[in-house]
Amino acid sequence: MSNRQGAYGGTNGGDTSFRKTWDREEYAARAAEHERKQKEEGKARYEAAASGKKYRRRASTPPDARETEARSHRLDVASMVGKTMLVPQGAGVGKRGKGAGFYCEACDLTFKDNLQYVEHLNNRQHLVATGQTGEVTRATAEEVHQRLLWLKRKKDEESKGEVLDLDSRLKLNKEREDQEREEKRRKRNEKRRKTKDGLGHQEIKLENDGIIDSSTHWVS
Amino acid sequence: MAHHKADASKLLDDRGYGGRLIRGQNPALLFETGVRNRITQSYYWKEQCFGLNEATLCDRAAQIKFIGGTTGVNGKPTPFLCLAFKLIQLVPDKSVIFEYLNFEDDGEESDNEGDKAERNGEGEGDEDGDNGIMNGGRVQDPEAAGKRGAFKYLRALAAFYIRLAWEPVEIYNTLEPLLSDYRKLKRKTKEGYAMTYMDQFVDDLLTKERVCATSLWRMPPRSQLEDLDLLDVRESPLQGEVDAMDEDNGEEVEVVESESD
Ligand SMILES: [Zn+2]
Repeated sequence: MSNRQGAYGGTNGGDTSFRKTWDREEYAARAAEHERKQKEEGKARYEAAASGKKYRRRASTPPDARETEARSHRLDVASMVGKTMLVPQGAGVGKRGKGAGFYCEACDLTFKDNLQYVEHLNNRQHLVATGQTGEVTRATAEEVHQRLLWLKRKKDEESKGEVLDLDSRLKLNKEREDQEREEKRRKRNEKRRKTKDGLGHQEIKLENDGIIDSSTHWVS
Repeated sequence: MAHHKADASKLLDDRGYGGRLIRGQNPALLFETGVRNRITQSYYWKEQCFGLNEATLCDRAAQIKFIGGTTGVNGKPTPFLCLAFKLIQLVPDKSVIFEYLNFEDDGEESDNEGDKAERNGEGEGDEDGDNGIMNGGRVQDPEAAGKRGAFKYLRALAAFYIRLAWEPVEIYNTLEPLLSDYRKLKRKTKEGYAMTYMDQFVDDLLTKERVCATSLWRMPPRSQLEDLDLLDVRESPLQGEVDAMDEDNGEEVEVVESESD
């Protein structure tokens, strides 16, 4: 699977930000491929000329076309909720240029809602603009198995995380309770001492100086 | 059905359908037109089902929290139904469907001997289920240990697909072992949610005419296939229980527990 990140944010520029994430190696590979294609084309051109024919470049899929993949992230709809948007005229049609709403950088179109936006991302025009074939490779049973293994471990880790989380929450609660209990105990002691010794307010305050102001609450 | 109407086929794909067939016809016809339209017009379909293949579909299925057909006044399709329609579109290889159905984490340490028992095996019921699967005093089967078909909603999805897409003998042979999977399933209803179980769901698939907003094609009853020697007589692990129910002459009781979320 590709590891392209959330390329669907309404604000972060449409469907092509994955291009930025391509690493050098991939660029190099693409460049090499491009070079090979050019050489091939040159050869074909030469051979065509040699046999007296006119060379026609094949208008097939573009050389860097990639297969269409499922979205790896939810569309970022939440970030758009509650924002005032300028609504382009005409339902289902994007407004040319960047505006308020869901913007597709590749096509330079802005859509008024997520439904229109996702419809655009799925349509032919957008797929072509972003170099996608619109075709999806089938997965084998083994690939499915590997996928499920990965999902299972992810799930297990998450539930373990939840347990850990619960544990730490419980621990935190216990610490807080202990603190409160300790605090009460001290207050009780102070109160007892005060009544027993008849000590004044001020002295108690000095005794606990800098710790907490609860003594004053208690006394007053 | 040897023919279908031209306008229906146009609706499915106006350039003509050239994909895999199910029982000789366009698989999309297994869903009713209205339901099909509501699926393909739903946001879930457009956002979450676009570009899925057999493997990435698992990501979605692993997130499913309930089964169900369509809900609400607009007949909104559940993610479960959308993914079922995606499967209908993909027509995955059988080996893939078996993987959905019976996925097992082969690297996982098994602490229960019973879990290792083969399906249909005579293994002793595994009493110490760790998922709270014990249910009404029924004896747990390895099938239900949660190891096989670890993603229960994916398993339910595969079962639903098998009932729609496969041949009768395969359907009986593949689905019947799931009748001893007693894990709970949440089911979205018109009003809210209800509780059901995997075995109940599979039983519905084998016996009912309509499940999850979908008419199930009429398949020959088991007895007929037995008479033709296409199926062995089924020795149900719950035969005793079934007999007892027959004596009660009890009507089918649906367990409905309302849930808060
Ligand atoms: Zn676009």
